[in-house]
Amino acid sequence: MINLSLTLLFLPLLSAAVTLFFLRNNGRVASLLSVFTAGGILALSLILIYNTEDVPLAWDMTWFKMGGWELKFGFLLDAPARLLLFVVAFVGFLIHVFSLGYMADDSARSRYFGGLSIFMFSMLGITLADNLIMIFVFWELVGFSSYLLIAHYFTTDEAAQASKKAFIVNRVGDFGFLIGIVLTYWIFGTVNLSELADLADFDPKLTSTLLCLALACGFIGKSAQFPLHVWLPDAMAGPTPVSALIHAATMVAAGVYLLLRIDFLFTEQALTFIAFLGAVMGLYAGFCALVQRDIKKILAYSTLSQLGYMAAAFGLGMPGIALFHLMTHAFFKALMFLGSGSVIHACHHEQDIFNYGGLRKKMPVTALTFLIGVLAISGVNFLSGYFSKDAILLGAYNFNMPVFILLYLGALLTSIYMFRLYFITFEGSPRSHHAEEAHENNRLMTGPLVILAVLSVLGGYHTLYPGSLLQYCLPDIDMVALLPHHMWMIVLGTSAWIFGLIFARSFYGKVEQTDPLSDRLPVFYQLCRSKLFFDEIYQFYVSKIQDPLARFIEVMELLFVSGLMVRGSAGISALFALLAKSCYVGKIHSYSFWFIVGTLGFLAYAVGLLAL
Amino acid sequence: MNLVDWLFVVFSILTLGGGVLMIFSRHPVTAAMYMIVSMLGVAALFVLLDAFFLAVLQVLVYAGAVMVLFLFIIMLLDVGPQGGKAARLTWLPGLAGVLATFLLGLLLLSFIPDATAGSGSWPALPESTYVNGQNLTFSTAVSAFGYGLFTKYMLPLQVAGFMLLAAMVGVIILSKKHNLQS
Amino acid sequence: MELITPQHFLILASLLFAIGFLGVLIRRNVLLMLMSLELMLNGVNIALVAFSRSGTNLDGSIFVFFIMTVAAAEVAVGLALLVALFKKRDSVFSEDMRLLRN
Repeated sequence: MINLSLTLLFLPLLSAAVTLFFLRNNGRVASLLSVFTAGGILALSLILIYNTEDVPLAWDMTWFKMGGWELKFGFLLDAPARLLLFVVAFVGFLIHVFSLGYMADDSARSRYFGGLSIFMFSMLGITLADNLIMIFVFWELVGFSSYLLIAHYFTTDEAAQASKKAFIVNRVGDFGFLIGIVLTYWIFGTVNLSELADLADFDPKLTSTLLCLALACGFIGKSAQFPLHVWLPDAMAGPTPVSALIHAATMVAAGVYLLLRIDFLFTEQALTFIAFLGAVMGLYAGFCALVQRDIKKILAYSTLSQLGYMAAAFGLGMPGIALFHLMTHAFFKALMFLGSGSVIHACHHEQDIFNYGGLRKKMPVTALTFLIGVLAISGVNFLSGYFSKDAILLGAYNFNMPVFILLYLGALLTSIYMFRLYFITFEGSPRSHHAEEAHENNRLMTGPLVILAVLSVLGGYHTLYPGSLLQYCLPDIDMVALLPHHMWMIVLGTSAWIFGLIFARSFYGKVEQTDPLSDRLPVFYQLCRSKLFFDEIYQFYVSKIQDPLARFIEVMELLFVSGLMVRGSAGISALFALLAKSCYVGKIHSYSFWFIVGTLGFLAYAVGLLAL
Repeated sequence: MNLVDWLFVVFSILTLGGGVLMIFSRHPVTAAMYMIVSMLGVAALFVLLDAFFLAVLQVLVYAGAVMVLFLFIIMLLDVGPQGGKAARLTWLPGLAGVLATFLLGLLLLSFIPDATAGSGSWPALPESTYVNGQNLTFSTAVSAFGYGLFTKYMLPLQVAGFMLLAAMVGVIILSKKHNLQS
Repeated sequence: MELITPQHFLILASLLFAIGFLGVLIRRNVLLMLMSLELMLNGVNIALVAFSRSGTNLDGSIFVFFIMTVAAAEVAVGLALLVALFKKRDSVFSEDMRLLRN
């Protein structure tokens, strides 16, 4: 089992290394290698999941030692890890296959597929890691591979900027995470997850809200939650399959997964904070998504919103439901991203939805699967999103009314902007030359769409899952099923998506090149477009406060560290060298003179005349 | 002041005067002659200190062998009197030298305990026994030297012998003509 | 000796040493520098014998014996070096022997 898991983890790294060293100019072989690696990962994961059903895999070895401090390298494959492993391996494989079609005529395919392999490696690392430091290491690696893949089209200014933005914003969150890890080690004396769980269970007073919030910074950065959400929409500058894999289905979900891994540490206040954070994010992202024109940005904001739902579920004390929603979301969001990729590919990289229109007739498979994704995310009854999202809403209704109201409004918005997206893109008549000439893509791209569509339909039925894949979620699902007001919630949920459908149909059914909302409610439209000025505020902060501070520190550094200490010490030794050099005159008299001066000094010291 | 005290004054003037004249004389041969005077003065002072054997050695080794060696080399190199530019003392080394000497003398003198402090007396010479406990006894007899050299200072004596041998070999090699030019 | 104490001998030795040192510093003829060195050694010898006599201990005198041996060897080697140098540079002046500097 251990060898199997090690093989699983290092297989993609090997693939990336081979790509880097041997296949840099051979994109075709590199892409095939990467896809086969992803297939291998899927196969190994399934074997591993099947074999660790009864006994969680826990194994570690010493990575390195510093004095009495020891860092372990270990795996902990328990119930939540199994589910995430399945999601990562499965969705990852489908997206690799899709990429084969999508990136077929890209000139830098080997770089792209190498990046995907590194991503798979780091994501598997997060999934399997059994201690916080190891999670952090792979956490950073995930951030790095995300940077690499966002900047795939690095020749465009947008992608270069977006990759830097993603990387730096993530650093802010990771800094908090690092502080949290240090605090954890300080308080508990260990970073191993199982030991931490035992300790926290033994003495609940050890943990604190501050510690939780510091660790949650990692989640906030990686899952792009408020106030570090600004990087995710920009990250859409990367290739669409990357957006599907990293910025929708897996990496951003890793933040939620981190919370699940350390949920025993969380205090009541911290949980409430996370719940409100998620709920506010769910609503805010909905407003932003409502007015976007770029198909991928709409999906990005939708991702933010759904991540908010997961955070809210976690904060309400239902981590199982959060993980359940993570999985269903991975299915339908990957489906929609791949669908949008299919559309973008067909329309020659046109991304403005107002330049599409009428694509249903030209791309029937894409349109149908995309519609399934839209229905699933809107919570249409008996699709996958319905089960997970309504479970969250029901829990919120029973546990925390303000959070419920925020989440319910978010759900309304979700169905509105999702149907808006669908109607504008696939219905009506083509509004641009590219849209008129679009045609369905090949099987490599539609195949994954169909599989994901099937999963989006069926993914909510937890009894369908083999073995104990959902072991972690089941207690919470059962708990929610027994909550009161169940019927009331079905009515509310159903009315939400039906309202969204009718509203979007009437409002966006027939559009031209402009957004109807900007004509009817210009103020509201502009407010949503501005995304509440977060980018501007950060811009202002960086340019007006941070830059002067940095310049000030630079001057200080130049003056004191570099000037006084570095150059200063060099100068002092040079001065001594100059003095010593001046004694070196080549005259024997001078030498004997200095010799006697030294002797005299020594003598004077010995006598006590020169008391030092 | 008895006679011996007067003798000390006379011989110390001889020694110091010879030294001063030596370092300021222009001609190397003159300098060597003054040095012999100084050496003889030192030998006489040894006699005053009851170190007769050392006085003899001083005359034989210093005033005899070493000075002859010096004179021989002066003759060999044919070094004349230092005239003109070469003879003049340049002021900076001269000043530095005088200053350093002054400081040195001051320091050395500061080492010397006060003459009236009680240690300034001459102990009577003990009977001619070679050893006194762990120490060798001061004696005018030459045999006391022999005893000391072959008991306590056996190893230094051997080393000194080797050193002389090494010096001899070194001088021979240095003096070989073809070796120098190659 | 009534008035002359070991201290007088030590003063004499110090002065002789200082004179020798002055000679080393101001003379530029290497031959005379070597002779000044001998003068310094003699100053030390006087001090040692004075100590030896006033402490009734023969060790000081035996030291003088060794110093004489070393001095003789030193003079022999030093003069041989000087001759070798003279053959090479045709000078006995120290300012001409500055191969290290120029």
